[in-house]
Amino acid sequence: MRLPKFAYLAPRTVADAVKMMGDAGWEGQFVAGGTDLYPNMKRRQQTPKTVISVARLAELNEISGDGKSGVRVGAGVSLTDLIEHPVIVRDYPSVAAAARTISTPVLRNMGTVGGNLLLDTRCNYYDQNYEWRRGINFCLKKDGDVCWVAPGSQKCWAVQSADLVPLMVAIGARVRLVSTLGERVIDAAALYRDDGINYLHKRHDELLADVQLPALNGWRATYKKLRRRGAFDFPVLGVAVRLDVERGGAVRAAKVILGGIAPAPVEVPDAEAALVGGSLDDERMRRAAEACYVKARPLDNTDFVMNWRKQMTKPYVLRALEELR
Amino acid sequence: MSEARQQSSIVGRPVPRKEGRAKVTGAARYVDDLTLPGMIYGATVRSTVARGRIKNITFGEGVPWDELTVVTARDIPGANAVALILLDQPYLASEFVNHPEEPIVLLAHPDKHLVERARRAVLVEIEPLPPVFTIEESAAKKEIVWGEDNTFKSYLVEKGNVDEVWSRDDVLIVEGEYRTGAQEQLYIETNGVVAVANADEGVTVWGSMQCPYYVHKALIKLFDLPEEKIRVIQTETGGGFGGKEEYPSMIAGHAALLAWKSGQPVKIIYDRAEDMAATTKRHPSLTRHRTAVTRDGKLAAQEIEFTVDGGAYATLSAVVLSRGTIHAAGPYYCPNVRINARAVATNAPPHGAFRGFGAPQSIFALERQMDKVARALDLSAEEFRRRNFIREGETTATEQIIREKVDMAGLLARAFELSGYEEKRGRFARENAGRGKVKRGIGFATFMHGAGFTGSGEVFLQSIVGCEASSDGRVHILAASTEIGQGTNTIFAQIAAEALKLDYDMVEVSRPDTASVPNSGPTVASRTCMIVGKLVESAALGLRQTLQGAGLLAEVYTADEWREACRRHTERHGALKSFSQYKAPPDVVWDDGKYRGDAYGAFAWAVYVAEVSVDLVTYDARVEDFVAVQEVGRVIHPVLAAGQIEGGVAQGVGYALYERVAWREGRMANSQMTNYIMPTALDVPPIRVHFEETPYPYGPAGAKGIGELPMDGPAPAILSAVEQATGVAFTHIPLMPEDLMKELGDARD
Repeated sequence: MRLPKFAYLAPRTVADAVKMMGDAGWEGQFVAGGTDLYPNMKRRQQTPKTVISVARLAELNEISGDGKSGVRVGAGVSLTDLIEHPVIVRDYPSVAAAARTISTPVLRNMGTVGGNLLLDTRCNYYDQNYEWRRGINFCLKKDGDVCWVAPGSQKCWAVQSADLVPLMVAIGARVRLVSTLGERVIDAAALYRDDGINYLHKRHDELLADVQLPALNGWRATYKKLRRRGAFDFPVLGVAVRLDVERGGAVRAAKVILGGIAPAPVEVPDAEAALVGGSLDDERMRRAAEACYVKARPLDNTDFVMNWRKQMTKPYVLRALEELR
Repeated sequence: MSEARQQSSIVGRPVPRKEGRAKVTGAARYVDDLTLPGMIYGATVRSTVARGRIKNITFGEGVPWDELTVVTARDIPGANAVALILLDQPYLASEFVNHPEEPIVLLAHPDKHLVERARRAVLVEIEPLPPVFTIEESAAKKEIVWGEDNTFKSYLVEKGNVDEVWSRDDVLIVEGEYRTGAQEQLYIETNGVVAVANADEGVTVWGSMQCPYYVHKALIKLFDLPEEKIRVIQTETGGGFGGKEEYPSMIAGHAALLAWKSGQPVKIIYDRAEDMAATTKRHPSLTRHRTAVTRDGKLAAQEIEFTVDGGAYATLSAVVLSRGTIHAAGPYYCPNVRINARAVATNAPPHGAFRGFGAPQSIFALERQMDKVARALDLSAEEFRRRNFIREGETTATEQIIREKVDMAGLLARAFELSGYEEKRGRFARENAGRGKVKRGIGFATFMHGAGFTGSGEVFLQSIVGCEASSDGRVHILAASTEIGQGTNTIFAQIAAEALKLDYDMVEVSRPDTASVPNSGPTVASRTCMIVGKLVESAALGLRQTLQGAGLLAEVYTADEWREACRRHTERHGALKSFSQYKAPPDVVWDDGKYRGDAYGAFAWAVYVAEVSVDLVTYDARVEDFVAVQEVGRVIHPVLAAGQIEGGVAQGVGYALYERVAWREGRMANSQMTNYIMPTALDVPPIRVHFEETPYPYGPAGAKGIGELPMDGPAPAILSAVEQATGVAFTHIPLMPEDLMKELGDARD
């Protein structure tokens, strides 16, 4: 497999980058580490004519602030740098831990925070080379008319597969999007939509500039990832939980987000309701896990049979809660 | 062996690998490092349908077709068949396709990007025919997809008379059914070749391969050229594991056809997805066992029905089946054995050689069955085996009398001691009774692996090795046996240096090139050390005999005296060469008709112990510890030998617990390393390797074969350990979390 030919632009500033994207239009694509985009281009899943590199932009490569005021992480920061940053390690251990589960050390050296947050959705019928996809007459997400996961469906069911996403949604991170029209800051939760093709509420010309981690004010969070091996794999289930616990031990607020089972991260309000109002006892945990189990409806489009992935929801939610207890 | 002799010995020492420095520094040249003037790039258009008739081939718009070299079946100058055992597999399908990924059209162009675009623009219209995808469908002749009855080959092994045993009232009868899945070799370097071909010069191919003379033979037929017009050169090869035994004949033919038509050198390198999807994998298998044992735990009869899925063409299925058949009854003595073995056709890409070559499949079934029989007898698995281990003077299933010293009980004791088997077995049983969600188990497998070609194979091969001494006294080994990462160059040099009592550095191994090395046979079947190494030893000794016969060298000599003798001999007589050809050791007799006799010159013997944990919440099974004890004759190179065992065990862990080929209509759906799950460093346990060394008189310096052995034992040992952990005797691999959940989840709810 080889990359198709494309124009490669390396702007020096964010302003230049978004202008170049404005000029390139729908044929343009930002790239940072390229660990997701380039393999996809080789398989012709994505075929931009102009690739605009934002990897070297200093503005996107900073981590600033601390837990008291909140931290701003540039979208171009490599996952390795995120994991090793002293403030992240000290104040946001759950973020460092979640990032550490992404892929391999080599890919984390190249892959970026922004790239992970915008990772293309994945599906067994889509993440194939061109010839393989042609053999099944392609699929809804790219070049075809049929969703092979749910034939008859008008919706693409490709799966949200980035480890940072459920956690960022759970902790209430915000993201800053920049374009030639200006910039806006939205909740990470509002960035994702439940459609495997148009999986982002981000205009094509908008550049993800940074992610803003909320100040620490008593909340704690964790992320649990289901995968087959000790290293390397995409999640086939991710569980992110944030709890705000009062001094007396009562849970004041909870966020429970499931990843790896649908085109977008899935919030489980019933689980959150089950957790709020008292201390984190076995019964509340059990009810929250049950609610997640009911809500999790993985489809047969990643590795491993869906029933195993569904069954794993309960123990993984329990493991996450156990860690926060 | 005397003390002094041992100290000077080169065999048994971990000398540096011959090609190690070049590999580490990046100086080693692999096929993709090779560029020839005017070279163009080839690509393969393949079937996306499992079975059908080609109706039409369209060359789509937007491609400057007149710039491309396009080859179809019509362009083949000789026979459109890959010469292997049979001539059933075409280089390019002309009318019918019989499996997904079957090559149909070849393209080449100087622009790599354009040739890929062109490949995407070729549309092959295929009218589908009903396919067959499973062993059962094929055996039931749901459709006839190959020959008259879907059968590539069958064997019947008969020893004694099993039929008389079933009705005896002093025996217990136990039946079982076992399955193994396909497995991808996953060598680091994918398949690739460069070819030059024209009527004047003939055909020359450079490539990543195990068996240059297989490619040589195939190209002779493909081009209908005399053998001296075909030249095959092995480039540095990044792993093979059997996956570069037969397939290079295909890709070499493709590149050569494009070169022939274009008049330009052609390079074809597969990317990982194409390599995984289109090239061979390990044969899936189905084995049924019926075993009769006496009340005192002695095997009375074994009836084994062993079937492998060969995919769409015969390739090497007949010989894979043969090895699987001969190993199916294992290292046990049983007076009555019947083995019915069959390789059947399906519409998957042809399955082929993979380390172990049929034996891992039949040994998996046997060892699971042995555990089952032991349970039925209420004997421990080890005690049941101790009562049945084959001993010197007893006969195997093919009635081969074991003449070598064999001590399976001793190996078992050693493996148990190193692994703490008995203590752990007891402790885990107690701990597992508790409420903990993580259960532990320890299990083992006892097995053997024959070295060299099966039966009369080595006699047919007539392998030859040459040694040449240059005037400066350096010794060059001439053999077609390839270095594919396993250490051929190093051990050959050790063997020759040891035989001639010269420094290791004075021996070099020539690059396998059919124009300059004799045919020492394929680099397969655990034969390189034991069979070819012995020829290296005798060819090397031939040099010394020549020099001594000419009166140039004394019985005892220094390196300088050797150099001087070589110099004087080459001055007088020109090149000093010595060749050695295979002769079967005495008393090795094989009857191909009855499938009876001495299947192998020697066996390696082994006991492997695996410790696992099974998480009853996630159904995740992990191998936590592993002990591999084996007797492989004299160990030539301790580090390389241990590396062979460790690598084989890691591959075996993958075979048992991780590596599942996801089939979709005969196509591999997970032909990527992201979701074809092979174990990573974090998933492989500590592997403790121990060799018992009993020198084998007909092996070089006493060595036997080693390469395939470690593939056989891990899977049954691991499933035996899973059985202790879970109480469930699983009978198939790969054993995935889903499978564990299915069994254990139901039982718990």
